[in-house]
Amino acid sequence: MSSAVAADHGFIDVSDLIIHYEDYLAVKGISFNAGAGEHLTLLGPSGCGKTTTLRSIAGLERPSAGEIVIDGKRLYSGKGRVNVPAERRGVSMVFQSYAIWPHMTVFDNVAYGLRVRKLPRQEVERAVLHALELVQMQSYASRSASMLSGGQQQRIALARAIAFSPKVVLFDEPLSNLDAKLRNAMRVELRDLQSRLQITSLYVTHDQEEALAISDRIIIMNSGTIEQIGTPQDIYDRPRNRFVADFIGSANLLRGSVEGRSEEGGYCFRTEGGDLLPCVAPYGVQGNEAEVAIRPAYIQLRNPEAGGAIMQGTVRRRMFHGDFIQYQVQCRSGEMTVRRSPTEVFEEGSNVALCFHSAQCVLLGSQAA
Amino acid sequence: MNNKMAVSPIERRFGSQGLVVTIIVAVCVLLVIVPVVFLLLESLNTGDPQVFPPLSWGLANYSALVLDVRIVLNTLKVAVVATVFAVIIGFLLAWTLTRTNIPGQALLERLLEIPFYVTPLVGALAWSVLASPESGFINQIWRELGGGGALVNIYSAGGIGWVMAIFEGSVAFVMISAAMKAMDPALEEGSRVLGGGKLRTMARITLPLVLPGVLGAAVFVFAEMLGSFAAALVLGIPAHYYVITTAIWEMTLSYPPDYGRAAALGISLFAIMFAMLALYQRIISRNTFTTISGKAFRPRRMDMGRWRYALAGACWLYVTIAVFLPMIALVITSFQRFSTAILPQAEFTLANYLMAFNMESVTSAIKNSLNLGFWVASVGVFIMMLLVWIIYRSRLRGAGAIEYVVMFPQSVPRMVFGLALLWAWLHVPIPLYGTLWLLGLAYFTVLLPLGIRTLAGVVLQIDKSLEECARVCGASWWYQLRTVTFPLLKPGVLAAWLLIFVASVRELGVSIYLMGPNSKVIAPAIVSSWSSSGTELTSTIAVLQTVTVFIVVIVLSRVIQRLSRYGS
Repeated sequence: MSSAVAADHGFIDVSDLIIHYEDYLAVKGISFNAGAGEHLTLLGPSGCGKTTTLRSIAGLERPSAGEIVIDGKRLYSGKGRVNVPAERRGVSMVFQSYAIWPHMTVFDNVAYGLRVRKLPRQEVERAVLHALELVQMQSYASRSASMLSGGQQQRIALARAIAFSPKVVLFDEPLSNLDAKLRNAMRVELRDLQSRLQITSLYVTHDQEEALAISDRIIIMNSGTIEQIGTPQDIYDRPRNRFVADFIGSANLLRGSVEGRSEEGGYCFRTEGGDLLPCVAPYGVQGNEAEVAIRPAYIQLRNPEAGGAIMQGTVRRRMFHGDFIQYQVQCRSGEMTVRRSPTEVFEEGSNVALCFHSAQCVLLGSQAA
Repeated sequence: MNNKMAVSPIERRFGSQGLVVTIIVAVCVLLVIVPVVFLLLESLNTGDPQVFPPLSWGLANYSALVLDVRIVLNTLKVAVVATVFAVIIGFLLAWTLTRTNIPGQALLERLLEIPFYVTPLVGALAWSVLASPESGFINQIWRELGGGGALVNIYSAGGIGWVMAIFEGSVAFVMISAAMKAMDPALEEGSRVLGGGKLRTMARITLPLVLPGVLGAAVFVFAEMLGSFAAALVLGIPAHYYVITTAIWEMTLSYPPDYGRAAALGISLFAIMFAMLALYQRIISRNTFTTISGKAFRPRRMDMGRWRYALAGACWLYVTIAVFLPMIALVITSFQRFSTAILPQAEFTLANYLMAFNMESVTSAIKNSLNLGFWVASVGVFIMMLLVWIIYRSRLRGAGAIEYVVMFPQSVPRMVFGLALLWAWLHVPIPLYGTLWLLGLAYFTVLLPLGIRTLAGVVLQIDKSLEECARVCGASWWYQLRTVTFPLLKPGVLAAWLLIFVASVRELGVSIYLMGPNSKVIAPAIVSSWSSSGTELTSTIAVLQTVTVFIVVIVLSRVIQRLSRYGS
């Protein structure tokens, strides 16, 4: 059977997956793969099909067609009429609600997956304590699971998911119920744990910041289809289309049209307001592109007298955010959002020049493509 | 090959689901709907009402209903008045206990559960002890104080309505307070902040927002009252004041029994009640404002200042009228040879209890009732749990049809269903009539809606991911049930068991038609004691029933509390 899976495929292989939810087509034939030890994230707005995809990999949802292969084992195949039940897939999952069993102790919760596998008592104890140590909850082992705070439940859910050394761990928005500070701390811990244990993980979130911070690669989903797959940096710097540019981080989107090549090997883009911008087209030019995206953090502000200005504008509003200052700059082509370090101060009403590297001005593919 | 093994259990399950659903629907239809069909056929019998299947058919029984118009008017009069009072009681109690900061709120909320355990039958008996025109305690004291005649007469339309309003008041309270708890208190606080007083806030904000809930409760309570039997039986018959249910009872008791007319009257009552409950469904499903979500809100209460003592007093007054006064009257009576409220003249004795324990009909009735309660609750909860799982958790096609069938008995007035079962089992060639088996089957059938609704609440409040997580951890279906599902369900299932047990032990409407000389049960025994022997002995049996139920309730409540201590 393993011969059916070609060698160049990943550890997790999902191909042409179609999932109906009742009569609604939730996932419209998506394909992706994850390498062993990779941390892959499914990112998208709510209702885009990301959780449904994750749940069908876990075996909790039955797809309509396609194929799911993990470590060479075919877990679901529409054509082959294969659907391995959840308990025999060898994957593990952290639920959004944590799903901590309130009638058991912390120890019993973490030991569950080990006891199901009928491991000897000492082995269970060793593995549970090790897992609890990894999430720094050793001292809670005999505590009743119903007496835990949200953050503690989150850690126990994590310990339980990794205790039986699964091949793959699936995460269904595990941090969405935590407050912002705790969420930040847990991101770091998750990333540490992930690289320490070398587990292949598939992570679902609607929080783009979280996705950027903790993933090796991100899959951007939108209404049941994949918009773009790439590393966080790749997706942030080179969004494929307007949806990705808008959904990941924030972006200044300017309408206009391509006006031929530039001298540095890029393209020239004429905005509707009349500015001529140097830009790049990482995904080629079809001729129907009508928008470029520039990240607010990649735009520099200078005095108008200094040279190298690409656009001219007036500071309309300055907002102090602590870690950065956000400027709203009125330009010919529209209002631009610019984020600068808190040390770069321009007064409201002053004229400024906007500069950026051509590689940071990305031509977006038309949405239909 | 390994693929084939993975597929088969699933394919098998999906392949057999049609069969499973068909069998369940067939059994439920047999239990639930067939008896009503028998009754419908009998109502069309224009020949000898005792011959079945009928020799001639017609609508004569229905046209004869014109003669009973007085009875229909009586029924409406009692039900309308009692509904109005029950809803007012329910609304005030619900508002006071969920929205104001009265002292002793938690205790009062517990006490308001008691009317359910006391039952309308015992309540009606107690009120006849308290307020019958001749020997009622209130009238005794009135005459002792120098008054003439009778101050109050419970044997009247007003008396029946009074007792019904008191007992349905606690039902209305439960329904309306559920609606109030589902309302975001910020909506009321908004009114207060903008300068609206407490009274204006209640009238302009609280009342309109919970109006669908109140209306729903009113319709539901009205439907219950149309089909209620106990109060009208105990308090109406001495005054020859008949409502539909007691009229049916008289028609089947008279000689020769006129089953045809009784059936026609019963089917008509069923039709009205069915319509009322359909209306109720419409009200609660359509008229919910978007501001009332399913979310539970942290209760925030208005400070009522000095008024909170007055409000608490009103709640205590209700509990006194509904629980304490009747129970005290019954207990005092049960220890006297001739009941009197003028305690210096009273002769206390244990004779009634000795007599009750020596009467085979009483002891066997108590034993049978407890036995039936235990088995109906135990077997019933198991079967109902399976049904709930099929209806709400499996994705079987046709699960909706099962739900519809099992909820059907709630739209049939209890004693009409008893008559239907009597008629059906008299003519089915299985010798079940007059046995405890038939009573058990009948209890199970009429308690299906109560059990299914309670257990559905238990199942639905368990987050699905708790079960899914077990599967992902590698647990088989059975292992997951054993280690996760069952332990989590245990407290809720025990509570449902208790509810069904109590409902079985207090059952009257169905039992009164189905018990035989060798299968006596307690509630009808109380009724027959009341019509054939004295108040004192009847009070004794009523006290015995109530005390038994209370002991079981208290013991099991403790167990449930301990089991669910791990929190919410």
